[in-house]
Amino acid sequence: MESVNKPPGRRSRFYSSEARVAYICLIPAFLGLIFLTYLPLVGVLGISLTNWTGLKSPEFVGFDNYVQLFTADPYLMDSILATIYFAVLSVVGSMIYSLFIAMLLNRKIPARGFFRAVFYVPYVLPAVAIYVGWSWLYEANFGFFNFLLSEAGLRKVLFIADSSYVVPSLSLISVWLAGNLIVIFLAGLQNVPSVYHEAAEMDGANGWNRFRHITVPCMTPIIFYNLLMSLIANLQVVTPALSLTNGGPGNSSRFMTYLMYDQAFVNYKLGYASATTFIIFAILAVFTAVLFKTSHRWIFNEGGDDK
Amino acid sequence: MSVAAYGRLRSKKRRDFTTNLITFAVVVLLAALVLFPIWWIFRTSLMTNAEIYKYPPSLLPQNWLFSNYEKTLEVFKFWKYLWNTMIIIVPSCLAGTFTATLCGYAFARLRFRGKSLIWVLCIGSMLLPTMVTLIPLYIGWTRGLGLQDSYLPLILPYFCGGGAFNIFLIRQFILSIPRELDQAATIDGAGYFRILFGIIIPAIKSAMIVVALFIFIGLWNDLLQQMIYINSSDKYTIALGLTNFRGQLKSDWSLTMAATCLSFAPGVIFYLIGQRYFVEGITLTGLKN
Amino acid sequence: MNKGKKIGAGLLSAALVLSVLGCGSNDNEGTNPASSPASSGAEATPAPETSSSKTEKVKITYSMWGSAEEGKTVQATADKFNASQDRIEVEVVAIPWESYMTKLNTQATGGQLPDTGMLKEDGVIQWSTEGMLNDVSSMYEGSDSKPLDSLAYKYQGKTVAYAAANEILLLYYNKDMFDKAGVPYPPSALDQAWTWDEFVATAKKLTIDKNGKHPGEDGFDPEGIVQFGASVENLPWQLETWALSNGGGYYSADGTEVRIGEDASIEAIQKVADLYLKDHVAPLSVGQTDDGIQRTIIAGTVAMATNGQWNVGTSLNVAKEEGLNYGVAVLPYMKDKVTLSTGGANVVFSQTKHPEEAMEWLKWYNSEENNWGLISSGIWMPTLEKWYTDEALTRKWVENPNFPPYDEYKSAVVDYARSTAAKPAAWFYTNNTTEFNTLLGSILGDVWTGKTTAKDAISKNLEALKAANKGS
Repeated sequence: MESVNKPPGRRSRFYSSEARVAYICLIPAFLGLIFLTYLPLVGVLGISLTNWTGLKSPEFVGFDNYVQLFTADPYLMDSILATIYFAVLSVVGSMIYSLFIAMLLNRKIPARGFFRAVFYVPYVLPAVAIYVGWSWLYEANFGFFNFLLSEAGLRKVLFIADSSYVVPSLSLISVWLAGNLIVIFLAGLQNVPSVYHEAAEMDGANGWNRFRHITVPCMTPIIFYNLLMSLIANLQVVTPALSLTNGGPGNSSRFMTYLMYDQAFVNYKLGYASATTFIIFAILAVFTAVLFKTSHRWIFNEGGDDK
Repeated sequence: MSVAAYGRLRSKKRRDFTTNLITFAVVVLLAALVLFPIWWIFRTSLMTNAEIYKYPPSLLPQNWLFSNYEKTLEVFKFWKYLWNTMIIIVPSCLAGTFTATLCGYAFARLRFRGKSLIWVLCIGSMLLPTMVTLIPLYIGWTRGLGLQDSYLPLILPYFCGGGAFNIFLIRQFILSIPRELDQAATIDGAGYFRILFGIIIPAIKSAMIVVALFIFIGLWNDLLQQMIYINSSDKYTIALGLTNFRGQLKSDWSLTMAATCLSFAPGVIFYLIGQRYFVEGITLTGLKN
Repeated sequence: MNKGKKIGAGLLSAALVLSVLGCGSNDNEGTNPASSPASSGAEATPAPETSSSKTEKVKITYSMWGSAEEGKTVQATADKFNASQDRIEVEVVAIPWESYMTKLNTQATGGQLPDTGMLKEDGVIQWSTEGMLNDVSSMYEGSDSKPLDSLAYKYQGKTVAYAAANEILLLYYNKDMFDKAGVPYPPSALDQAWTWDEFVATAKKLTIDKNGKHPGEDGFDPEGIVQFGASVENLPWQLETWALSNGGGYYSADGTEVRIGEDASIEAIQKVADLYLKDHVAPLSVGQTDDGIQRTIIAGTVAMATNGQWNVGTSLNVAKEEGLNYGVAVLPYMKDKVTLSTGGANVVFSQTKHPEEAMEWLKWYNSEENNWGLISSGIWMPTLEKWYTDEALTRKWVENPNFPPYDEYKSAVVDYARSTAAKPAAWFYTNNTTEFNTLLGSILGDVWTGKTTAKDAISKNLEALKAANKGS
């Protein structure tokens, strides 16, 4: 972390003017970290140890909420599974999709800028409207997709009305929305030094081999970055549940953040919801930590920190 | 060049051309698929309600009722909501970008005690979902500071670095700028702030625009926070207006879809204008990992 | 790095202890009087006060769900009240429906509740148990007419709210589709109500696939249905209708015992699911959208649909002008004739400083003359008994172009609502209906698609349902 070049003649001292400048610059960050992040986080932990319902004063109940969540809550386990299922599908799906599109757009084809805009645009659209719009396409009886299926003589798929299909259906939308990943991958592809490719071609390597042995390794830092961003975002999925499925059918789309919202704002069980929140936080932390820890093994760094 | 080599070159060029052609075809097809849902929403906005529910559904509206948009604007105060949304977004983007730059500079260039601790805390906060701190923050803003029905709880957080994520971005960016420039300025007698404003900021302009973009999109889509802090309909943002609109008209889908299309516009326009900077910025951002 | 982390951990634990201590004192701060106009987009210019009011008017706030437009309409009504007397001034705050209870709850947490307002049906009993609502039984003492019995929310023997309006469930049907198939209309008179089997048989006659075949005929293709005969709403709170009709129900009469595990209840739910699964007369009931009637009756894709009577005013009136020919009928029954009545509650919050004034406002506002817009449009029905018993008043209410023909509506709706068939929905007397209904909804998710049976789903989760009723 402290691997910076020392300007000649300076030593770090506690009260050096350098440190003073730094502390001044960091005042906003201090304020934010304390009051907007860590204090509320601790507050949530505190509330989760009570049975506060917002309507009466809280009573300290220790770990009761957690115990109940893990033993008696009818939703928590399904919720965790549904969220992980969704996140894995969406992350893998968006990575493959955006890498593929980026590779296509990397070639010399006309109107690249236009197409790049087309694939990126879903990302800037308001998510609520998008999910509602897609719900029309997915409608079980009269929706457009089922119309196509029945014209083709196939069985109708119940999409978001069917507990086995709802998560994949929602993941598809999530992948469609991931335009920002494409742009980042594109940038990364353009950064792979073309000398590598030319050299490999001269040695007779074909496209697939070049992809495997040059493109992918050079892109690993970017893949990591996109993977991380995508994972964090998708584990916190809530909009489709809020605006479309309400957690159903059954619990198959009752994502963790939606569960927490339901507990806190519909059932007013703030203490209980805070406990759920903390569990979500823990799961997120585990995934991220694993990702970071294993990253050293497969990221090919051309220098510089990746933290 | 020998004849054989020339032949190989030409056949390679021909292979490239074919590959590019196929690629182009695939891209066009995929682009059409990607645009289809947007088209679907658009065509719904141009139909009458009765037409929407018909089965089998039709791809094209029978009459292109652009009048629906007129009707929508009468009931959906688009311009007002847009204005309100901008009132929130513009200060947040400015404040967020500026403070992110300050903090990113400190982490990237300056040495001071406690740097690693604060950095760890900063990264840690990146992983905190907004949902987690929702309730305590609400209590703090409304009961602690008495800010009911106000934009401030939405804007003020951006004065605190604009989010750890953006600080991280800027830091990575600044790290990529050669220190020699700093050193040259130092020799000329520039202090740390002069370096920041005179050298660093001009060099990372595109990163700053990217940060502004991220803040824009984050706020644009952030329905839940807006819902909680804003009460009066005069102060609604676009996202809030859309949500309320649905309930208001008891599912008049054509107008709802028209309102939706209207709210696509700012995001798209913003992107088209800033496209060059974003791509440049995101390019360099994504690489510095 | 390691030292940093240790310091960090230490800080966190210290802050944790502090915040828990801090939490305890949060809730009991002196609350601002809820009448401070902290949040009002619908702030009307004050009605011209009668010039000689020496004592200041008591200001109270009333919250309602709806758009800003609807808020302005109600404020206009409130201004009439304000002008008619010089003791009370009412300010109306409109909050969107989707976020209404969330907002109210956060206001309660912050001690910022209005004096009075609407409350969603399923929140009334819960708020009562927390002591947030005042007893309003004295509201109608000495009046010439009280609200219907089925419209009083009762907690521990006290009336904690009256419904702001009366709403019941009906059977709607598309007359043109019936005429085309040559099938007689459903009955609008309660004593001629169809049995469930008659209902299904009629629906079969109205269900057609691509090739014009009906369910039960050779070659009928369930995948290729272009028109359905019937659709029964399967929202958990509406399903109770059928459970009750079959001799079962969700709860005991006092709301403390759960009866949904009884065979009769389970059988009823399975019958509703079978409309799609076995009888093939209904489309798959999907998701919760407000437009059940638009998707079915108005679109001409389903011939009969159960839904709330409010649809007369929310969508059917417009459709009627555009040429839709629809009718209203009583629901079919399995063993007993049942419909559910409900209505959002008007409550007085216990945080108020002006309970008397609040009750006076509510009583005035609730009397139908002052609420005429919503009633004449068909969205709400009157609450006071006299509108159902006095023919002159009934005609005044029903005879207007928005409604179906007088006789039909009177029989199928007015008399129906007053009959013994109209039972109050469970949230009038049971607590934790939200949790119960959410759980029930999630349990039944796979029943509708046929992946599991109602019997399996409910039996497996009976304990959880019981726990939900108790507030787990």
